[in-house]
Amino acid sequence: MQRQGFSRTAVILHWLLAVSIFFLFISSWWMMGLPLPSPELQFRAFPFQLHKNIGITLVIIILMLLYVRLRHRPAPPDSTDMAPWMHWLAIAAHVAVYGLVLAVCITGYLSSAHTRWDTVFWWTLEFPRIAAPNEEMNEFWGELHMWTAWALLGIIAVHVSGAIYHAFRNDGIVRRMMRW
Amino acid sequence: MSNENNKTSLPHWASILGVVAIMLGVFLTAVQGNEAMKQAVVTSNMPADGVMPAADCPEEELEEEGITVAECEYLIEHVKGMALAAPDWFPNVQMTLAGIGAVLAFISVIIGGALVNYTPWASKAAVVVFSGLAAIDLLQFAAVVNTGPTLREVYLGGILLWFILHLMLVVGALAGRHSEASA
Repeated sequence: MQRQGFSRTAVILHWLLAVSIFFLFISSWWMMGLPLPSPELQFRAFPFQLHKNIGITLVIIILMLLYVRLRHRPAPPDSTDMAPWMHWLAIAAHVAVYGLVLAVCITGYLSSAHTRWDTVFWWTLEFPRIAAPNEEMNEFWGELHMWTAWALLGIIAVHVSGAIYHAFRNDGIVRRMMRW
Repeated sequence: MSNENNKTSLPHWASILGVVAIMLGVFLTAVQGNEAMKQAVVTSNMPADGVMPAADCPEEELEEEGITVAECEYLIEHVKGMALAAPDWFPNVQMTLAGIGAVLAFISVIIGGALVNYTPWASKAAVVVFSGLAAIDLLQFAAVVNTGPTLREVYLGGILLWFILHLMLVVGALAGRHSEASA
């Protein structure tokens, strides 16, 4: 028999992902207000490297979450009293969240790869250079990174609204992702 | 379990309070985590003599960031102003409170989930953790009040809003417990 909710691993990964995404948004707004880097001014060094570390880790987490969710599919929710458009909106929002998280992380990495700054994953694993510094490419991927991030924030708002809607209805749907 | 069963077996207040606690908890973990990092980064990168070097504003960087030379120079003045406005004790106190706040906020996410599932210990734990978060807000408020106008302008409004939200969560959990007890 299929279990009612998502597996515990999926639940933990989901909430880890949520906290990390919000941290990345909030810290990025702050760190972009720090002085531009120079040999004497290194305010941006730590927050930018941390931003990259968490972003790369998010790719790993989301791939793990996808694997866990596809491998251990919970029983479908009883959606008899849910309007079809709402059901399809929920599916579309989920797919968009997964797609956009990956897109934001990949565009961010590609933008960073075209700068003069190296990526040392969690200050231990040095990533090989995949491109020479190129200001145009850095800007191109940087713009994409920014716009996909705004799109992600919008789609998260839809996702969160859906969760709150179901919590107010107390129909058991949010409980599926809150099984500790 | 059908939807109908779900609706009747677990209380509405716990479902709503739990989800609100989770949403706020996720956001607050990020906010407090960022605050702790902010204090650490600014403190560790300020020149020892307090004299900031001249701004380095290459044209290509300005274009990439979408800022003017004046704004680039202001970024340095801004950090310097924040550092100057903070008394010596402030960064450590703020870092400690933000660190504890981040941990409590993350715990409140777990508590929120327990409320949604209405586990037996959930409402009591909710009162304790939400009160802890409100206490952190009060301590941060007191710390900022004892600085100066610059930091008060930056922090006080936000802290007050969080305090009101946490107070509402505490009262909500208490009201839920009382209604369960009298049912």
